[in-house]
Amino acid sequence: MANAYQPARKRRRLGHDWPWMAAFVLPALLIVVVVQLYPLLFSVYLAGQDWTLTSSQTSEGFVGLENFVKVLQNDVFRRAVRNSVIITGSAVLIEMFLGTTLAYLAAGTSWSMRIVRTILIMPLVIAPVAAGTLWRMMLNSQMGLTNYLLSFAGIQGPDWLGNAGWAPVAVIIVDVWIATPFVFLVISAGLTGIPYELHESAALDGATRWQSFLRIDLPLLAPLLLLTLMFRMLESLLSLDSIYTLTLGGPGYATFTMTYYIYTLGLRSFQLGRAAAASWLFMAFAASALAFVFWLQRRWQTAQ
Amino acid sequence: MTGSGRLRKVILRVLRVLALAIAISAVLIPLAYLVLNSLKLQREMYTIPPIIIPSRITFEHFQAAFDNPRTVRFLTNSLIVTSVTTGITVVVSTLAAYGLARLGLRARYLSLIVFIFLFIRFYPRITTVIPYFLVMREFGLLDTVWAIIIGHLGITIPFVTWLMLIVFQDLPREVEEAAMVDGANPLQRFWRVALPMAAPGVASAAILTAFLSWNEFLIASSVAKRQAQVMSIAVAGFVTDRGVQWGPMAAMAVIMIVPMILFALFVQRYLIRGITLGAVKG
Repeated sequence: MANAYQPARKRRRLGHDWPWMAAFVLPALLIVVVVQLYPLLFSVYLAGQDWTLTSSQTSEGFVGLENFVKVLQNDVFRRAVRNSVIITGSAVLIEMFLGTTLAYLAAGTSWSMRIVRTILIMPLVIAPVAAGTLWRMMLNSQMGLTNYLLSFAGIQGPDWLGNAGWAPVAVIIVDVWIATPFVFLVISAGLTGIPYELHESAALDGATRWQSFLRIDLPLLAPLLLLTLMFRMLESLLSLDSIYTLTLGGPGYATFTMTYYIYTLGLRSFQLGRAAAASWLFMAFAASALAFVFWLQRRWQTAQ
Repeated sequence: MTGSGRLRKVILRVLRVLALAIAISAVLIPLAYLVLNSLKLQREMYTIPPIIIPSRITFEHFQAAFDNPRTVRFLTNSLIVTSVTTGITVVVSTLAAYGLARLGLRARYLSLIVFIFLFIRFYPRITTVIPYFLVMREFGLLDTVWAIIIGHLGITIPFVTWLMLIVFQDLPREVEEAAMVDGANPLQRFWRVALPMAAPGVASAAILTAFLSWNEFLIASSVAKRQAQVMSIAVAGFVTDRGVQWGPMAAMAVIMIVPMILFALFVQRYLIRGITLGAVKG
C-alpha cells in the first residue's frame, strides 16, 4: 500500500508543472525524430525498393524481399559477415583481457601511476581515421617501423597490409590499439569501487591474490565487464574509419566488414535498396550479438 | 620462507614495471613515429631499410599544408562543426534531461525512454546514414556544414541527454523544493539551482561531445564531399590518392590529433568522468 502511494505523492509534489518540463524535452525529441526515427523508417521503405541512384533519380518500384535475397546470396556480403565475426570477436576478447590486466597493473594513487594512466588512455582521444593512417605507415612491410623493429629480433615481418591472411590481423591490431584504453579506463574506475577491507579480510583468511580476485573482484566486476563487452562489441562492429584509412577493405575483400560493405554499396555505388536491406540484416546481426551478451548476464546471475 | 618470499615479491614488481613499460611503448612509439614522419625530408621517407630518425627536421609538410587554402577550409569547417554541435547539444540535452528527470514519469516509462536513447547511440549507424543522405539531398543541404552538424546532433543529443539524466537524478531535490516554495518557476529552478549543481557533469558532456564531433567520419563523409569537408575526410583522403605521400599525410594527421591530445590533457578529469559515468552508472 505504502509503495503504491508514494510515487503518486511525489508526482504531485514535483510533477505539477509538467507542461514546462515537457517543453524542455521537446527540442531534443524533435531532433531525435527528424534525424534518427524518420531515416530509420525511410530505411525500411528503401529495403523493399529497386533503386540505384546512378541510374535513376527515383525508385524504380517495389520488389518485395528481392534485395534481401540478393544480398544474402552475395559472396562479398558473406565474406564481410565472416570477417566481422573474426575481427570483432578476436579484437574485443584481446581488449577485454589486456584492459582488465592493465587496470590491475596500473592501479594506485602514486604520481607515477597517474602518469602511466594518462599515457595509457591517450589513444581514446585520437581520431580513428588518424589511427588508421598512422598504422598504415607503421605496418608498411618495406618502410614501416614494425617490420624494422622485428628485423632486430631476427624476424622477417609479414606483408601486413598486402597479404589477405595478415590484413585482418592488422585490422585487429589497430582496433586493440584504439579501444584497449576504453576497457582499461572503465575497469580502473570499477576497481576503485571495491572496498579495500574485503581484500584485507580475505588475506587474513589466508586467501591468495588469485583466489581473492576470483571470489571477490570478479563477481563485483561482472556486470561492468559485461556492459563493457557489449559497448565494445557494438562499437567494433560499427567501426569504419580505421579500416577505411588502414586497408580500404583490401587487399581484395580481405578486410571488408559488414559496415564497410554497406558503406561502399550505399555511398560509393549508390545501390540504395540493396544497401538498406543489407543494413537491416546487419541490424539483426548486431541485435543477436547483444542478446547473446544479455543471455550471458542471465546465466551469470542464476549461477550466483 | 622469508628469503624466497621477498625474491618472489621483487620478481613480481619487476614484471609489473616491465609490462607497464611495454604498454606505454605500444602507445607512445606509434605516435612518435607519426610525428617523426611529419618532420622528415621527402628523400629520407622511402628508403630501405627505413630511416626512422630524420637527419634533419623539416617543416615543409606543415608549410605546404597551411599554404593550401583547402587545409585552412577543412580546419575552419571542423571548428565550426565541432563548436556548433557542442553548443546546441549541451543546451538542448541538458534541458531535456532536466525535464525528463522532473517530469514525474513512472519509472517504467522513464527507463523505456532511457533505453531508446541508448539504443540510438549504439545501433548500426550505417542504417540511417543512407536515408539521411537522401533527406539532406531533398533539403538541398548536401555538402554544407549544416548537414554534418544536424547529423552529429542526431547522435550526440540522445547520448548526452542520457548522461545528464544520470547526473540530474543524482542531485538532491531538497534545494530545488526550497526554491519552489520561494516561488521560482521551473526555468529559474533549472538555471539558478539545478544547473550550477550539475556544472561538472555539463562540462564532461560538452567535452565528450566535442571529441565525438571532431573525430567523426561516417556522417561527414556521406553528406560532405567538397566544400564542407572536415579534417577527418581530409586525413582519409590520402588513402585513395595515387602514390604514397607520407609526409603530407602524416602532417595532416598531426594537425588533426595533436590539438585534441593537448586539450585532453587539460580537461582529463572531466573527460574520464564523462566516459566512466556512462559505463559505471548506466
